[in-house]
Amino acid sequence: MTFTGGGGAARARTRIDVEVAARVIGPVWPLRSFIAVNPLDGLVELGFDAAVAQAQRWLRSRCLPDLGWLRAAHQAGRITEADLRASVLARQPSLGDDEVAAFLSELLEHPADAPAPSPAPRTAAERCDERLGTQLAATVDAMVATWCAGFVDEGAAAWPMPGRSDGLYRAWRRLAPHDPGLRRLVGRHALAELRRLPEHPEDAIVEALDDLGVAPESSRDELRGQLCRLPGWAGYARWREDWAAPDDPAPRFSLVDLVAVRLVHERLAVRAAGGKPGALVRAIHPQPVGQEPDDHAAVWLDAYERHYRDELLTTMARPTPAPSVRRPAAQLVCCIDARSEGLRRHLEAVGDYETLGFAGFFGMAIRFRPLGATRSTAQCPVLVTPGVSIEERPIPGQERPAERHLARREKSAAAGSALHAAKTGTGAAFTLAEVSGWVNGPVAAARTLRPRRRVRAERRSRLRTAPTVHASGDGLGFALDEQVLYAETALVTMGLTGGFAPLVLLCGHRGRTTNNPHASALDCGACGGNPGGPNARVAAAILNRSEVRAGLRERGIDIPPRTWFLAGEHDTTTDTVVILDRHTVRPGLAGAVLALEGDLTRAGRRLAAERVRALPGGRARRPAGHAAARANDWAEVRPEWGLARNAAFVVGPRSMTVGLDLGCRTFLHSYDPAVDPDGTALETILTAPMVVAQWISAQYYFSTVDPDVFGAGDKTLHNPVGGVGVLLGGGGDLRAGLPRQSVLDGDNPYHEPMRLLTVVQAPLERITAVVDRNDVLRHLFDGGWVTLAARAHPAAPWQLRCGDGTWAPWQPAMQTDDHTEVPV
Amino acid sequence: MTRQSLTPMTKVEVVVAGDDLPALREVFTAAGATGYTSVANVSGVGHHGFHQGRLAFNERDALTLVITVVPDDRADAVLAGVQRLLADRPGVMFVSDTNVSRPEYFR
Repeated sequence: MTFTGGGGAARARTRIDVEVAARVIGPVWPLRSFIAVNPLDGLVELGFDAAVAQAQRWLRSRCLPDLGWLRAAHQAGRITEADLRASVLARQPSLGDDEVAAFLSELLEHPADAPAPSPAPRTAAERCDERLGTQLAATVDAMVATWCAGFVDEGAAAWPMPGRSDGLYRAWRRLAPHDPGLRRLVGRHALAELRRLPEHPEDAIVEALDDLGVAPESSRDELRGQLCRLPGWAGYARWREDWAAPDDPAPRFSLVDLVAVRLVHERLAVRAAGGKPGALVRAIHPQPVGQEPDDHAAVWLDAYERHYRDELLTTMARPTPAPSVRRPAAQLVCCIDARSEGLRRHLEAVGDYETLGFAGFFGMAIRFRPLGATRSTAQCPVLVTPGVSIEERPIPGQERPAERHLARREKSAAAGSALHAAKTGTGAAFTLAEVSGWVNGPVAAARTLRPRRRVRAERRSRLRTAPTVHASGDGLGFALDEQVLYAETALVTMGLTGGFAPLVLLCGHRGRTTNNPHASALDCGACGGNPGGPNARVAAAILNRSEVRAGLRERGIDIPPRTWFLAGEHDTTTDTVVILDRHTVRPGLAGAVLALEGDLTRAGRRLAAERVRALPGGRARRPAGHAAARANDWAEVRPEWGLARNAAFVVGPRSMTVGLDLGCRTFLHSYDPAVDPDGTALETILTAPMVVAQWISAQYYFSTVDPDVFGAGDKTLHNPVGGVGVLLGGGGDLRAGLPRQSVLDGDNPYHEPMRLLTVVQAPLERITAVVDRNDVLRHLFDGGWVTLAARAHPAAPWQLRCGDGTWAPWQPAMQTDDHTEVPV
Repeated sequence: MTRQSLTPMTKVEVVVAGDDLPALREVFTAAGATGYTSVANVSGVGHHGFHQGRLAFNERDALTLVITVVPDDRADAVLAGVQRLLADRPGVMFVSDTNVSRPEYFR
């Protein structure tokens, strides 16, 4: 049987084969909306151990923490022998005392990582390289990566690749015969073949597989091998195909096109090198997985996670503080982002405040277009399609200042565009320094020496605008009943259905950095990798509408007339909070808003002091100023630690954690079981915010355990390409994941690579029902991706969900030796 | 309008996880289907038990019903692709004869 035959059926089958082959590769979002994602998300159904084995085989990656590093953690007391013993027994409950002791001895004395066996070849070119000593696979990688970079450009290139609307394969097919590099690789005699390539990429794939002698049963492996040679570009194609909005302006960059282009390169290169297809037919041998060092690392990892889990659950098992009888001066609703924990903790310490946690898009799945912008952004988790378009418009009476502001901005943009064109122009680049240096030199010096000035200028230019949340007939905004529904969902899900304070601040968040391609990685993940201010503004505007409140009242949520919802934005790099749309605040509340603002400033300073201490080179003196300087320093590679050290997702009332210093390591989602009898709110929390938290956790985990395969490498070598991603140096694969500086301090992990721990306070039968009716939750909890701990109420003992869906009482490892308390 | 005035075609209905919708789109494109209709967040009972329907903030993990109609000569291509997908993904496919009033939309 051969693959030749073409036709729609063969093409459809080939498309599916490519899709299935690509599951080992995680999607890579463009940098404009960087999303932390589990790089092995396509393999979640296999369970953690099997997924890791696949990734080790195909991506040649490390998927468990380095043994040497784990041993160092043991020597530092971060992992104890009690933790290890408990982990050994958890994996092999039948072992006797002597056997456990022997295993422990082996764990502690076994040499660090044994040298990895040489990896089995994955593609025809790799097999050819192995037999003939050629370098075909790497050469093909470099050539195909260059074509990819040229194709995906989102407006950065002065001369875009022609024919992009037809897809990568067809655009490349027209140009390939003119590529001198390709002619050198495949020889002149192959030019005729290049000109005869089929029109459809699927047919080119089938032809190439046939020509290379790949057996049908090995075709998916061959396709997967092709994709795994360029996992960054393949991941970007996965995003473009699977996750991009249908109207996304990015050129169509598909997996099947990428495979076709790469496979044709390999086919012709192997032929030109004298590789005989018959000799290459050998099936790809699976690489042995689950070898001894990995088994050891799995126990070590379990012990490492167990130690943190025991500390956190022990801490939260303390008697719950009695709720305050006084009504708080204000309520602060923050994003569940782990960085919000610090702001909440410090604000509660400086005044009479109650704080809550909710996904930072505040239930508003919107597309938002700022004033004067031509492009809108999807402001919601990527699991949701935004249903409503919102625009920012000047408030009545502010049209003229807005026009002047936009005119100034256009002039500035035109100057920037001219400078960019001069930099990239063929001849202009040679004279640019002479012509513009007298202006650019002092500007650059001022930016370097006085980095905070720019922020102050930005603050001065803030306009009085409002989002279009009125129920309008022009396609913008929500209908009234939608507004009521969105408001109700948000309030019930966070358990805020009564006891409203006079002020309720909905506080989105953003990062603020300069000259940082990964800037959006510091913004709000629940807002699609964008600043969360617009969502807070829309939610506040809706919750302040009298018609919405009337609708909520009919549904049993009575917001007192004196309660006012404010919008704010927490800048996590400088730990400052700005109140947005303050011109909308009812006059009688101005004093209360000022008092809240003052306390937020005090809380932010305390948090900045705490955070700056953990930053390499952080100065303890004037920490707030130091944080601001880092944010605006265009040479700073680590403006903040972002979500590094994130570890747990806690669902329940604030009373579970109030007063505890959780070290900005926990995603805190408010939940009141009493207002959610059917579990709908809990289901929403676990199937959306928790899934997003798991992606973040996995992204940090894998970027830490293998920064070269799953991480984006060293920031100082980054070269942005086409506006979609970064390369290391001048070429090669697109780099996915987080930069080294986001997870490592030098060569040592700053992020503690652990799988997510989810802690829920709710009736166990409700949790079980929710998990059992959602495959995604069963895969995560029962497949070893997330540990689920729960208790029905504060006085109940913690229970852990077992892999078979049952519950077992939590028993902390008996700590008899010296150990280090983990900041939880 | 009588049934005789309609044009016979093949209707393919597929229930898959929302996550597999992009793969299904790929199949339809390669097979020459000119369009499809999808109904997100469907629920029901299958041989793995109850499947939850609407999730408030997650469209990817709920089930989706996708319907396409193709001329009979393209049906085999659609079926081949969908069968390939369902070989190792959860889901079901229903194939039936149907009649359409505007055949040019489907060619």
